[in-house]
Amino acid sequence: MIEVVALVAAPLFAGGLSLVVHRSALLHTINLMSMTVLVTAEIMITRTMLKDGPFTALEQLVYLDALSTFILFIIGVVGLASSFYMRSYMDEQVARGVIASTRLNLFFFLFHMFLLAMVVATIANSVGVQWVAIEATTLATTFLIAFWRRRESLEAGWKYLILCSVGISLALFGVVLLYYSSLHVLTDVSQALNVTQLLPVADRLNPHVLKLAFIFILVGYGTKVGLVPMHSWLPDAYTEAPAPVVAMLAGVLEVVAVYAILRMRMIIDHAVPFAFTGGLLGLLGFASLVTAAFFILIQHNYKRLFAYSSIEHMGIAMIGFGVGGAVGTFGGLFHLLNHAFAKSMAFFAAGNIHRRFHTVEIDQVQGVATALPWTAMALMISGLALSALPPFSSFASETQVVTALASQGVPGMWFTSTEGMVTVPLSDQFGRIALAAVFLMAAVLAFGGLLYRMTGMVWGTPPEGILRAETWTLGHLPIIFLAGALVVFSFFLPPPIQQLLEQATMLLVIQ
Amino acid sequence: MQVLSYSGSQLVDLCSALLLLTCFAIVAQRRLSACVDLFALQSAFLVVTTALVAYLTGNQHLYVAAALTGVIKVIIIPRVLKKVIDRLNVKRELVMYVTVPAGLLICGGLVMLAFFISQPIIPLGFLLTRDSLAIALAIVLIGLFTMIARQKAVTQLVGFLVLENGLFLGATAATYGMPLIVELGVFFDVLIATLIAGIYTNRLQDAFDSVDTNQLTVLKE
Repeated sequence: MIEVVALVAAPLFAGGLSLVVHRSALLHTINLMSMTVLVTAEIMITRTMLKDGPFTALEQLVYLDALSTFILFIIGVVGLASSFYMRSYMDEQVARGVIASTRLNLFFFLFHMFLLAMVVATIANSVGVQWVAIEATTLATTFLIAFWRRRESLEAGWKYLILCSVGISLALFGVVLLYYSSLHVLTDVSQALNVTQLLPVADRLNPHVLKLAFIFILVGYGTKVGLVPMHSWLPDAYTEAPAPVVAMLAGVLEVVAVYAILRMRMIIDHAVPFAFTGGLLGLLGFASLVTAAFFILIQHNYKRLFAYSSIEHMGIAMIGFGVGGAVGTFGGLFHLLNHAFAKSMAFFAAGNIHRRFHTVEIDQVQGVATALPWTAMALMISGLALSALPPFSSFASETQVVTALASQGVPGMWFTSTEGMVTVPLSDQFGRIALAAVFLMAAVLAFGGLLYRMTGMVWGTPPEGILRAETWTLGHLPIIFLAGALVVFSFFLPPPIQQLLEQATMLLVIQ
Repeated sequence: MQVLSYSGSQLVDLCSALLLLTCFAIVAQRRLSACVDLFALQSAFLVVTTALVAYLTGNQHLYVAAALTGVIKVIIIPRVLKKVIDRLNVKRELVMYVTVPAGLLICGGLVMLAFFISQPIIPLGFLLTRDSLAIALAIVLIGLFTMIARQKAVTQLVGFLVLENGLFLGATAATYGMPLIVELGVFFDVLIATLIAGIYTNRLQDAFDSVDTNQLTVLKE
């Protein structure tokens, strides 16, 4: 179980070291080494998991199945990419005096704690410990978001702290309710929040309590995911946080919060009809997708543009999970992966643009292709991937979601109710097609908004006084890698990733 | 034994009701430092309730939780908040989004809503603490309402802490306490969150010269 220990120990140790180290080069080295250890441990865990199936470690404290290993994979890849990107980004901020060099180690400390909290949230067996870890991510990232200490940053940080803390508290009430329902079934109460204990007895839990619990959990963790209508902190936070941090927020933190919802759902679906959780997820998914699509159209700030695009994509993934079935669930999970890659890339590009143009207003940014050719390429690729155009893998996942939607519809919405109401075949079909049409309309709106804004930024002549050359930095490496992965994954999924995705889908689909 | 558990459940109910009562007092209070005092009082009631449940059920780990509540929520957090208030130049909540009488009425409605929601699941609970679950939910909702209805960062923080008290009462009442590792984690998180928010209010004060969250309007669509 050395790899599980390494997973937790690496960020913990690196965080501790960062507090006492002050030299920037050393801080970056520690960071990259800890990330390497993390990714290596993650690869070893994936191999063990695929060979032997789900396992527990450290006296039942840790539980790893295909779903959590898949999430770990995303944390590892995006974390490593951000670490590479930070090398040039943070040094430039220090050189320009935006942050004092004495505060750089604080940044790394918080970053490692953020990483640690996400890893713990993913591998924890107990949903209670998972809750504690997700709240810890809020605390670690609050100061990261407000790291520039401008008025706007402080405002964004305060909103984030308050909204997410409250949301997460509601999720805790859901956890309490889950515990409440399990007490009547389980004998050993000290383990009653463990997934390994709950799953075998899940069908005997009280459905009324579980329904109430799921609503609290969905609202709570949904705040963290940024689902409409709990999303209002998200655009502000994404605008103000430093680029590598936003890449982690958008690429990984959202995914971890989605994972927490899915974990609960795995248990709850055994006792409650699938239509209940599916309908709620689909409802929030559609609300997020449609709202975000309209907001994308009216954005004048490219970081906010990407923030709303995040809301849109989380909505799409939620619709996939809401529809359920093998296709919908697989599409949803795959979409999480694609979104994580494309969005972190987009924010790396946005960070580069912000460094050169010193503004976040889209109207004032022109001619990125001339000023920063590589970044322009990254921006276009991420933009096309986020609009789900072929040949990028988000096209594949979005197609899967919409296919599932058109053939199955969202359960519990639109005449597909199984209880009491007579299902009318014609209106059922009509409902499914109408939902798919709404989905496609929103996707087209978002596509148009995103590409219109991006092409405006990429072409044209750069404003006076903007340097027209791009020097190669370590930060370009993750961009190239992510772009490559986005293309490759749409034609060929490496067997371990495919197996992980398939097994995770099997876990989520209740036969 | 029957008599003991009956009077025991009456006592637990009484303590939970006192917690709810302090919530109403906080909603009606305009002075910031009095709000903090009321929060400390509420936490003290929470300590008594938890200890009572621990005594009546023999769950030893609840004594730990009660002691931690005492140290963190009755002593440390109110002190931190008092310090924050001392540094700020505003002692009173000058503007509220909802007037006091209207606020009290809404809270009354929230209590009824909480009882209505938890009606179907209450009979599943332990006899001793049956009604406390509904009260806990009511406190959570009132805490949420306080955060929405007030403007000052400090009062919003108090609202958050009240919400957390409600959650904790819920955990104690519904389940005789969560597993110890989870409870310790929750305490740690609440403590850190309060400290962070305390630091934050100071920074807001420096940057905006006010802790009115109404001033936070730089970021808009």
